[in-house]
Amino acid sequence: MYPQFIIEMIYFVIISIVVVFLAVFYFLTSRRRGSVESGHAGHDREGEMGRGEKRWLIFLFSVTIIGNLLFLSPLLPSMRYTLYERDVTMTVVIEMRNYKFILPEKPIRIPANVPVEFVVISEDLVYGFGVFRKDGTLVFQMQVVPKPYINRIVWVFEEPGTYDIRSTEYSGPMHPWMYVPDAILIVGEQQ
Amino acid sequence: MNEEERKILSLRFVIVALVFLALAGIEGLLMRLRIMNLLTDVFDERHFYSMMTAHPFVGIYGWAYMAVMGAFYFLVPYVLKKDIYSKRAAYTSFWLMILGIAVIWTTTFVTHYAPLYTLYWPIPVAADLVGWSPLSIMSFGVGVTLVLAGVLVFFFNMFATIFLPSRVVKSNGQGGAGYIFKELVITAFNLDRLLAKIRRIPHYSAKAFNYPVFVVAVFRGCVDTTLNAFVIGGVGLVLAFMGAYYLLPGAVQNISLIDPLIYKNFFWWGLDLIADGNVLIFTAGTWYLIVPLLLNRRLYGEQVVRTVILADLVVSLFVWNHHMLADTPQPFVLQIQGQIFTWGELLTMGLTIFAVLATIWGARPVKYSAPLKFVLASIAGYAVGGLAGIIQANYASNRFFHNTQWVIGIHGHIQLLVGLSLTIFAAIYALFPLLTGKMLNEKMADMHLLLMAIGGGVMGLSMGMAGTLGMLRRMLYPMGLGVYEPYMNVAMLGALMMAAGFSVFIINVIRTVGLTTIIKLFLPQR
Repeated sequence: MYPQFIIEMIYFVIISIVVVFLAVFYFLTSRRRGSVESGHAGHDREGEMGRGEKRWLIFLFSVTIIGNLLFLSPLLPSMRYTLYERDVTMTVVIEMRNYKFILPEKPIRIPANVPVEFVVISEDLVYGFGVFRKDGTLVFQMQVVPKPYINRIVWVFEEPGTYDIRSTEYSGPMHPWMYVPDAILIVGEQQ
Repeated sequence: MNEEERKILSLRFVIVALVFLALAGIEGLLMRLRIMNLLTDVFDERHFYSMMTAHPFVGIYGWAYMAVMGAFYFLVPYVLKKDIYSKRAAYTSFWLMILGIAVIWTTTFVTHYAPLYTLYWPIPVAADLVGWSPLSIMSFGVGVTLVLAGVLVFFFNMFATIFLPSRVVKSNGQGGAGYIFKELVITAFNLDRLLAKIRRIPHYSAKAFNYPVFVVAVFRGCVDTTLNAFVIGGVGLVLAFMGAYYLLPGAVQNISLIDPLIYKNFFWWGLDLIADGNVLIFTAGTWYLIVPLLLNRRLYGEQVVRTVILADLVVSLFVWNHHMLADTPQPFVLQIQGQIFTWGELLTMGLTIFAVLATIWGARPVKYSAPLKFVLASIAGYAVGGLAGIIQANYASNRFFHNTQWVIGIHGHIQLLVGLSLTIFAAIYALFPLLTGKMLNEKMADMHLLLMAIGGGVMGLSMGMAGTLGMLRRMLYPMGLGVYEPYMNVAMLGALMMAAGFSVFIINVIRTVGLTTIIKLFLPQR
């Protein structure tokens, strides 16, 4: 399963819990009779956190730490190829100008399971560089900041097959036409 | 101004804001149809993107800002029991906003100028390459400058209303821009408390703790949005000057005049402050005011909440980089800083929501009036939209979500339409009896809430799911939507539900006060 689908699934589980919690909260607060507490319910002293609030803060803080550690770990390929596996064995240079991709060859032939660095240079405007599977899902993308900047990204394609390229950043009304189908061919070991 | 004048001012702002919301909604529906590859004969790419350029200006500045301005022009004097600092400034901001948005809208509609709200350098000034007319660049720049000038006038008026003892008091150095600025900086950053600690003054209570918590949120949000106005207004000025220069004979177009990456950093630093100032902190302030007022009890953990509001100022100044996680020339240390600070929003917003829910919990059994229901729904909107924002704001996950429908659907539109807009409607429902002396129909309010909240959720979530499949934002698919199509159909259904909800609200207002009363508000008052 692609990484974005796993993230989406986790997200939907969490928001389902949140929405159900709020629905139950609405039900309980509108119907159940509880003892009406003082204006500083749960607060021992003015200006200090109540016990529940402290626990909630500790929970949020823990989620923040764990979330950051997970996203900075090599768990996702995007972080793995940025921080942990940076040895590049192949470089592909692509130019972009006047709403066009200028590819070194078409299709660009890349072996599977090899770290390849895409170097994308824009001569004029801000563009995007996105690689898509044939089913429309996004493999990876980056912004293409125009010269004097050089935009680089390393990726390892595990699945042989053809991939499309699209500009993923708006650069003017010609933007939707910046699409090159079958621009990349990933070749498996047998091929 | 007396209270009656302030009521009229407030109502004028809110009514104009509602007109802009309707306009933004119509634009949204039309763009949605075009994304579905309908209306292609009458609606080409240039027209589509020019509409997409106007849409956030109408929606954010026209609807959200003007509604907030209207509410605060009434509520801040009401809470502080003092008059607005300047009536003239209040009406100047009103007209500057309307004029600026009208100029932006007309420019994009007539000339099809379409740099989008992101205004990434050099797209807005690349006249020859993209095909913009110099006049459209200049006119758009003027429009943006006018809007942000209106915003600045409003915030200066708010700061003056909060920090100055009364109008035109100049004695003891209490008056003028310098005094207000000094008070603002001291209060916003708790500098007086720090000074008291250094001087070893025992039991000193910082100035921020002398103001009602709602007012603390207002001036704290105003700090962010003022900085935002300087940045975006500054960009507007640059565009106006460059457009004017291009009109001169022999003018040379130099698109490498400004460094695109430094510009992008500066631009996003300023633009993201809207998200913190207007969307998060003003919302939090409105909850802090409405919920205790409706429940007739103090806000849970009020002192802690003040500290959280002020701490969020620091967070908000360092989160901009989450918009630039896909920019690989950006230093990696800034990318990680953007990620970590964005997670800080989870702490501040989490504590805010906790305080509001704990206040409601302490008041049980609660009779949920319309504004309270809207607050609860807006909390759900913030939780759903905010969490999506935090997920996409990580360097690693951004590779898959950046510029997809996820960003603008689940995060952007749910945050704005279910989170922020339902908070504004909560304020409108709460203020309506105070401003007009009449109550809106509760059953129609329920219908409005259900249609807006469910419609907004359905639209945002289905856009987000299309985003996970790879559908980009700001993109047309002339060769067909393919696997994204069913999600866009469901998003359209959600959008129509929201339109129906808004219509129910308008009918409710007209039924309650009558169309004539609304029209009379805009006639000279005797």
